[in-house]
Amino acid sequence: MRETRETSSSTADPRQPPAVKPYAPPRILADELPFDYAGFLAVIFGITGLMFRYKICSWLAIIFVAKSLANMKNMENDLRQTFSAVS
Amino acid sequence: MAKPSSSRWLRIMSGFSSPSGDALLFFLAIFFFVSLLTHGISRISVLAAEFEGFDADDVEHEEEANEAFDPKFLKSSPLTPTSLTQTSFPESHHGPPPSSAAELPTDDASVSAEKPLASSAFELWDDEEFEGIPVHIADPTSESPSLASENPVGDGVGDGSAVNASNRQWRLSSYFIEILCISFLIIFIINYFIGKRQNELIALCWASQFATKDSIFDKNFSLLGTGDGKEDSPLLLKEGQDVFKFYASGRRYCQGLIATMELRSRHDLIARVMDLLLNKKDSITFGIVMNEDAMDHVVLAIARKKMARSMHKDAKDLHRFATVMATQSSGRRWVAEELMVVTESKEVAGDLMTDVVIDQVFGEKAFDKFGKGFISLHFTDQHPGSCKKLLLFKFALPHANNMVDLTRLITLVPYYIDLIGRYKLSIQARSKTEAPRAKAAQESLKEMQSARQEALQKRRAEKKRLIEEAEAKLSAEAVRRKEEKERARQMKKLGPKVRMLRSH
Repeated sequence: MRETRETSSSTADPRQPPAVKPYAPPRILADELPFDYAGFLAVIFGITGLMFRYKICSWLAIIFVAKSLANMKNMENDLRQTFSAVS
Repeated sequence: MAKPSSSRWLRIMSGFSSPSGDALLFFLAIFFFVSLLTHGISRISVLAAEFEGFDADDVEHEEEANEAFDPKFLKSSPLTPTSLTQTSFPESHHGPPPSSAAELPTDDASVSAEKPLASSAFELWDDEEFEGIPVHIADPTSESPSLASENPVGDGVGDGSAVNASNRQWRLSSYFIEILCISFLIIFIINYFIGKRQNELIALCWASQFATKDSIFDKNFSLLGTGDGKEDSPLLLKEGQDVFKFYASGRRYCQGLIATMELRSRHDLIARVMDLLLNKKDSITFGIVMNEDAMDHVVLAIARKKMARSMHKDAKDLHRFATVMATQSSGRRWVAEELMVVTESKEVAGDLMTDVVIDQVFGEKAFDKFGKGFISLHFTDQHPGSCKKLLLFKFALPHANNMVDLTRLITLVPYYIDLIGRYKLSIQARSKTEAPRAKAAQESLKEMQSARQEALQKRRAEKKRLIEEAEAKLSAEAVRRKEEKERARQMKKLGPKVRMLRSH
């Protein structure tokens, strides 16, 4: 066993206040965001519904838009962007 | 008078917009039935009576009838009754016209309007033969709603006035898709709020068990949460309705700890159903970034067999440096059978699987009891990415009420931080691990250099392009300047003559 002795250190307080590092959220570029399948499907269904006049396709598009909105992650004011885009 | 009925259908149909495909088939069915009825009646009457002057008219109006049917039958303006009734008669013997997709006469007004017109048409022919027809024609209108009730597609309706009701019910059922989708959306929205609350409850239960005052993380780290660390700052960071993060920092041997809770997407109805089918579990992943001097050459992963194999394939460092470890036959206590160890060095694996750990968590008995929540464990100092020295633990989150079950697995986290922080390899183990790492370092250097060279070449190419464009512009400008100079000279030549004249 190559473990070093120092059992005392295990009983000592492991906290080190000077070693505190504040939280830095990992920066994700816009290109590396996980692909929004729900939004993509919503667009496809919407176009299909418009072109071929299938009611159910348009409704499925609305459902997938709702799914995409529900799964939105709060990365840098996504909600604000979507609202401004919609309006 | 076989075809006054069909003429009436045609007129009514022309005043009606075409419905969907299902309704179309239904109307076709009704139309065929009615035309069969009237066909049968007309046959009987033909056999019984004599016609006079019928054939001559037939020839003239047959062609008109064919024309009248095709272009006009869907127009809203009603066709002249006489031509239709006259021309429809020859058709009666040939069966119903193929192109006419009949529609149900749902307007009482149109039905009543047809009757006087039809009766005037009847007068042209033998009344005796067609006496009962208006009554019979009225009957089909009442029969067709009853037909509708028999027909599986249509709604059940009683009689005459119920035609309007059938019309309304038809409209209701024709909105079937809309009703279905709107109800789905309503359920979706309700489920969103329910699922959101459920997920928040699980995250808060975990935090109250392990991250509040006098809890395990409070005793191990001086800063908890992503805020200032004061009393009121929030402990958990909500990244999505199903992703929660917990940050802790200020401990020996490590820079910080990030716990990521990935819960089932209970807020999204479609994803919830999919997760049920795929049997997804709530999980929590601890990522601990070790200090540069705190971790020696350790590449180790432990998981259940299937998971371990996929980890060995997917993780670059495991794939490169580590191999699957066969079970130790030395008689020493080892991890449970269902677990597989992937390690660079057997010695290191043996050192890190201490007796304490095997007794408490990974041994046969202990694992049966406490190991349900354990998913995987991955220690590496060659992590591909910005943080090289990383400890990763992945556990399954129990139910909100059973958070205590996770305690023993969570105590592994600070235990291993200390263990690996203090651990030093033996000389033999170090010599074995040095060679592949040196190789890896060289390769990464080469890649960096080649990337830099490519970037330099790109910059040079761009610069050349810019210069060439500038030169081209300059040359164009130079040409213009020359032309201007020439004009100026010419003007000057002309100029002095003018002056001479003026002086005079």
